[in-house]
Amino acid sequence: MTLRRTLAIARKQFLTLRHDKRTLALMLVAPVMAMLIFGFAFGSSAKHVPVVVVNEDRGATAGKIVDALDHDVLAIATSSDLAGAKAAVDRGDKVAVLYFAPGFTADASPQTHLQMVPGKAPAVQVLPPKGAHAQLYVDTTNQELAGVVMAQLPAAAGKLAAAAGQKSPINFDNQYAFTRAKNATTTDSLVPGIIAFAITVFTTLLTLLAFVGERTSGTLDRLRVTPATEAEIVLGYELAFGVIAAVQGGLLLTVALLVYHVLIVGPLAVAALVVVLTAIDAQAIGIVVSAAARRESQAVQFIPFIIFPTFLLSGIFVALSSLPDWLRPFSYLLPPTWAIQALRDVLLRGWGLDHVWPQILVLLGFAIIFTTGAIVGLKRSRA
Amino acid sequence: MNTIQLERVEKQFGAFRALNGLSLRVQQGELYGLIGPNGAGKSTAIKIMVGLQRATGGTAKVLGYGPQDPQVRGLLGYMPQETALYPDLTVTENLDLFGRLYGIEKEERQRRIAELLGLVNLSDWAATVVTNLSGGMQHRTSLAVALLARPKLLILDEPTVGVDPELRASFWAHFDRLRQEGTTILITTHYMDEALRCERVGLINHGQLVAEGTPAELMKQVKVQTLEEAFLAFAGRNKANTEVSA
Repeated sequence: MTLRRTLAIARKQFLTLRHDKRTLALMLVAPVMAMLIFGFAFGSSAKHVPVVVVNEDRGATAGKIVDALDHDVLAIATSSDLAGAKAAVDRGDKVAVLYFAPGFTADASPQTHLQMVPGKAPAVQVLPPKGAHAQLYVDTTNQELAGVVMAQLPAAAGKLAAAAGQKSPINFDNQYAFTRAKNATTTDSLVPGIIAFAITVFTTLLTLLAFVGERTSGTLDRLRVTPATEAEIVLGYELAFGVIAAVQGGLLLTVALLVYHVLIVGPLAVAALVVVLTAIDAQAIGIVVSAAARRESQAVQFIPFIIFPTFLLSGIFVALSSLPDWLRPFSYLLPPTWAIQALRDVLLRGWGLDHVWPQILVLLGFAIIFTTGAIVGLKRSRA
Repeated sequence: MNTIQLERVEKQFGAFRALNGLSLRVQQGELYGLIGPNGAGKSTAIKIMVGLQRATGGTAKVLGYGPQDPQVRGLLGYMPQETALYPDLTVTENLDLFGRLYGIEKEERQRRIAELLGLVNLSDWAATVVTNLSGGMQHRTSLAVALLARPKLLILDEPTVGVDPELRASFWAHFDRLRQEGTTILITTHYMDEALRCERVGLINHGQLVAEGTPAELMKQVKVQTLEEAFLAFAGRNKANTEVSA
C-alpha cells in the first residue's frame, strides 16, 4: 500500500467536487439548512398559545393571576360567555378556556368567623381558606401546547404568592454541575446532535451514491485493474470525506454560533476529531451498503434505513434512557449515538480527551470495523 | 512464450455456468481476436484475465502470474466495454489520476498524457470535462487510459462499439503499431472486418472455445468465403452439438 495512490484517490474526490458544483452545494448547504430548520423548529419554545379567560370572580385574585400569566407565551382573550369559549376550543380555534367562578377570591381567602359566646366578648376566629378552584377546559390533542398552558397556571400562582410576600415551606436551591452551561438552552443541547446527524446522513448518502456510480460506470473495475489496492481506494475515500466532514463540522459550528449563539465551552480540536471519525464511520458504511445496490435508484431506497435510526435512536431528541429496554442496545450500535454524547460532553460540559476518550475509542473501533468491512467487501467482489 | 494461458477455465454464477472449460493461449506480441455471440462468455473470460473475477475451476496465467497477482497490474492495460471514466473530471484529470495510480512520475506522466492526447486526437479537448465530450471522444479517452502505462498486454473488450468508421480505422492503425512494437493485444469484437485483422481468432460459445486459428484457417475449415459465414457455421455447429449432448 502506498500513500501516493491513497492521495491520488482522495485528490480525485476533490477534483470531482470542483467540477460538480451541485454536489459541492449539497455537501455544504444541505447540512447548514438542516441545522437551521432543526434549530428553529425544535429549539424554539411555544409562543402565543391562544387561550380564553372567562373571569366571573367578584374579587381581585383571579385578575391578579391572569396578570401574572406570561403574556408572551399565552395569547389571552377575554370573554364572558363560558359556553361560547368552550365551543371555540371544540372548534380548534383556541387551546384552552380558563374559568374563574364568582366566589374564587372568597374561596382563596382566609375565612373570618365571629364567635359569639354568651357572657363573653365576641371573638374573631380566622379559618384557613376554603380552597379556590379555577377550571381549565383544554384541548390535549396537541400535547406540546396543552402542556405549555397547564404549566403556566401554577407558575402564575407561585408568582402571585411571592409578590404577596408568602414563603413556601419547602425551597430548592439549585447548584450547577457545569457552571458555564447553567443557562444552556434546548438549542445548545440540540446542536451536537444535529452536527452528528448531518455528517452521518450526508456522508453516508454521498459515499453510497458515489460508490454505486463507481460500480455501475465501470470506473471501480478500472481502478482495480491498476496497481491500486482495495485498501488504498477505501482509505483514499476516507481521507477525502474526513476532510470534507471537518469542513462541514466547522461550518455548522460557525452557523450555530452566529445564528443561535450556542454554547461552546470545550476544545474544538477534540470536537473536530469526533466529527472526522463520525464521517469515516459514515462513509465506510456507505461503501459497505453500496454493494447491495445495483443502480443509483436502488441506492436511494436505502436512505430511510440511514435517516430514521440516526434521527430517532441516537439521542438527538429522545434521551437513550427514555427508550424501551429492548430498543436501547440498537442505539449503541449506531456511531452517531457515541458522536452525539462526545460532542455534548466537549461543547457543553467542556470536557477534553481525558474524559471523552471512551466515546472516541468506540468511534475509532467502528471506523476500523466498517473500513475493514468495506475493504473485504471490495475484495470479495473479485471472487 | 504465452502471455495469456487459460487451461480448462470454469466460472460458475449460482446455477449458471458462464465458462465451461475454456482453454486458450495468446503468444507474446500477438494480436488475438476473441469473437462469439452475446452471452458466450467473452466478457467473463476477460474479467478473469484482468483479475476482476476468479475462475471457479481450471488455471489461468497472465504474463506468467496468476491474474490476481499484484505483479500483473502494472503490466496490463484494460479498456472495458463501458467508457469507465470519471464524468466530472476533465480528460487530462482522468489520465492524470490513472497515471498516478500506475506510479508514473510527474514529468513522465505529463509527457505521456500529451503524447496520448495527440495520438487519440484529443489535444484540443484536454481541459474539457468528460461528460461534455461526444461518445466517440469518450471512447478515445478510455483508450488513452488503457495505453497510459505502456502495458505489455492490452486487453480490449469491444473497444469499437458505437465508434464511427473513421475512428475505428484510427484505433486499428494504432493497434497495429502497438503490435509491431511488441505489445500483446487481446480484443473482443462483433465486427468480422476487425476479426480479419487479427493474427489469430478464437471463437467462443457456451463458455468454450469452439474454433481457433488464423481467419483464413477458420474459413477453410468450414469451406466458406467470409469470416462471418465461418462464425455462423461454427456457432451453429456448436449449438447442434450442445443440443445432442443435452
